[in-house]
Amino acid sequence: MPASSVAPIRLSDLGVGAVARFHEARLDREITRFLRAIGLTRTSEFRLCKNGEPCIVQVRSTRIGLSRALAGQIYVVPLASKGA
Amino acid sequence: MSGPAAALALLESRTLPAALRVVLVGNPNTGKTTIFNRMCGARAKTSNFPGTTTSSRFGRSELIDGRALDVIDIPGVYELHLDSPESCIARDVLQGGGPFGRPDVVVVLVDACNITRNLVLVGELLAYDVRVVVALNMIDLAQRRGLTVSPGVLARRLAVPVVPMVARKGEGIDALKIAIGRAVERQPVPRPADLPKGDDSVELLSAWADDILSEAAGGPPSDASAFDTFTERLDRTFTHPIVGILAFAATMAGLFWTLFTLATVPMDLIEATFARLGDLAATYLPAGPLRDLITEGIIGGVAGTIVFLPQICLLFFLISLLEDTGYLARAAFVMDRVLHRFGLPGHAFVPLLTSHACALPGIMSTRLIPDRRDRLATIMVAPFMSCSARLPVYVLLTSLLFAGHPALAGLAFAGCYLLGGTAALLSALLFGKTMLRGGARPMVLELPTYKLPSLRNAVLTAKDQGLAFLRTAGTVIMAICVMMWWLSAYPRTAPPPEVEALRVEASQPGINSAQAEALTTKADALEQRSAQAGSFAGRMGRAVQPVFAPLGYDWQLTVAVLTSFLAREVFVSTMSVLVGAGSDEVDEGVIASIRKATRDDGSLVFTPATAASALVFFVLAMQCLPTLAVTRKETGALKYAMLQLGYMSGLAYVVALIVYQSLRAAGIS
Repeated sequence: MPASSVAPIRLSDLGVGAVARFHEARLDREITRFLRAIGLTRTSEFRLCKNGEPCIVQVRSTRIGLSRALAGQIYVVPLASKGA
Repeated sequence: MSGPAAALALLESRTLPAALRVVLVGNPNTGKTTIFNRMCGARAKTSNFPGTTTSSRFGRSELIDGRALDVIDIPGVYELHLDSPESCIARDVLQGGGPFGRPDVVVVLVDACNITRNLVLVGELLAYDVRVVVALNMIDLAQRRGLTVSPGVLARRLAVPVVPMVARKGEGIDALKIAIGRAVERQPVPRPADLPKGDDSVELLSAWADDILSEAAGGPPSDASAFDTFTERLDRTFTHPIVGILAFAATMAGLFWTLFTLATVPMDLIEATFARLGDLAATYLPAGPLRDLITEGIIGGVAGTIVFLPQICLLFFLISLLEDTGYLARAAFVMDRVLHRFGLPGHAFVPLLTSHACALPGIMSTRLIPDRRDRLATIMVAPFMSCSARLPVYVLLTSLLFAGHPALAGLAFAGCYLLGGTAALLSALLFGKTMLRGGARPMVLELPTYKLPSLRNAVLTAKDQGLAFLRTAGTVIMAICVMMWWLSAYPRTAPPPEVEALRVEASQPGINSAQAEALTTKADALEQRSAQAGSFAGRMGRAVQPVFAPLGYDWQLTVAVLTSFLAREVFVSTMSVLVGAGSDEVDEGVIASIRKATRDDGSLVFTPATAASALVFFVLAMQCLPTLAVTRKETGALKYAMLQLGYMSGLAYVVALIVYQSLRAAGIS
């Protein structure tokens, strides 16, 4: 699977329109659990709709807004075959 | 009896036999409140859960066959096993804890546009031994996005009834009631065999939900069903660094213009009604303490608080409309850029702006803020914003400070607003480094779908919040008003001999009507001054004057500071009475009288240094007991109200002291 061979990058470094998979969040446990609860799980793919402040991602049909500071602490694996 | 218990007891007393108990559970933004309002209408009460500041709504409905339903709408929850207050409440209710008892049926709302994540919650619920009915809401929106889901397949896979609905239009409500009626007659069904086990299995539950959705939708949903160009464009506009701020400023300007324009009419009506009520009571009740208590203590005190009811109802009506559109979530991000630096969340902007009108609705509107720490930080600093009750005080003191220099007085006036706002932000920063450590939580929010707001929801929200405010105003605030009135009015003291002499002079032959009126007015003013000075508040003012002496206050100014703890605007009327100005409106006559007022040693009460010190004190001090009552209620703890009082008063004292002593040292006295 291509995703496994790609190094994780910060969500804030992802290009708009790119599709990626959540890798890890270097945040406290409560926020990490909340991110999983609203849909940013390790198995789900998401698309970056907007970068900057805020960063907006779409997981299935859920749109999630994240502050830029938070996006800088979330590591994702870009899916090379999808998105921009 | 606690709030929810009392609400349920009230519902119980109206229905025999016992009503079925239904709990509405669901992710935020799935339409729970809309379904609740469709089922219960205005027959609902809002209460906080015991020991929390998280509110829920309790209502009465009935099934198609006439059986009564008690419906409990608990806060939206993403997962049952998070540490959030909402998740704790949901777990507690499902296990039959608290005053609610075990629910007969759990209705779980599922957003048809976002089935996978919503089914994760359904999967968690199925692990509990409860009867579950799934309300598949917003199917019209899902269909417009090209996503058609078979409720039958969902029902088979989940082994529970699934009711397709469009709650906003009232479609599916009857079917939901029928499903509830049938579900209650059956035993809870065993959990589906393929449902993953364990509490910490969001990924497994998501995979299980994806599998169900694929079958129910006849294949994996395409990306196209989720992509919405309209939403993309609006999001880019509303969160743009410049356009977003302009859009937000325009929205807030519109909101507050509407608020102040429309609320004025009912506020004037309330003031006139209470004034008429006071006149009637004064006319028909015999003179004495009871009449004074009713006209001045109860009617006067409650009128001063109830007058804000239209603002509160209208504010919540407008906020509910805005929230329903989905815009507020985007606006929170726009303001988060500024407020986050001071440890406040973006959501805090609306409460802080509202507090410029009155801190009571401002603090109540902190319910918009999801995180408790952020909510507390906002509540603690909201009263620093210059409310409308401070305006007459600012007018008086800036006029005294810069007599004959209206431009400078205007600048000082604007400076008061700046000082209040700065104090709020810096205090939030301080709280973030001390008692509310950690700063505002990094912003992460689900951005709900844009949609037309529900007028019905907005009206019911305004009604709920208005009633909640009235309950506080009718109990705690009224008690405070009566107490402060009593302290200001008792003990009664005999008027000084000059009063009687003036009255006698006024009745002498040869005195024309204008002269007689002037003499009577002077006698009344002298009598009021004597009564104020002899009252408990007056005596307390004299007793504690040494505490305020370093700020430059004499006993009269100290009495005015003490009596204005009821409400800041009382400062003007008290000063007016004490200096014998004979009016409680800030007009030129009153300002001139207060400017000329002297201390016992003959020096002026208000020197420039004293006026500046008093002005700073009133910008920063917590001179509003009703606000403390609302803080106590909204935080669920007296300690926060006491801390707010101590912190704001302490800060006001220290800054006023610095201002007074600095000006004196600079030769300005």
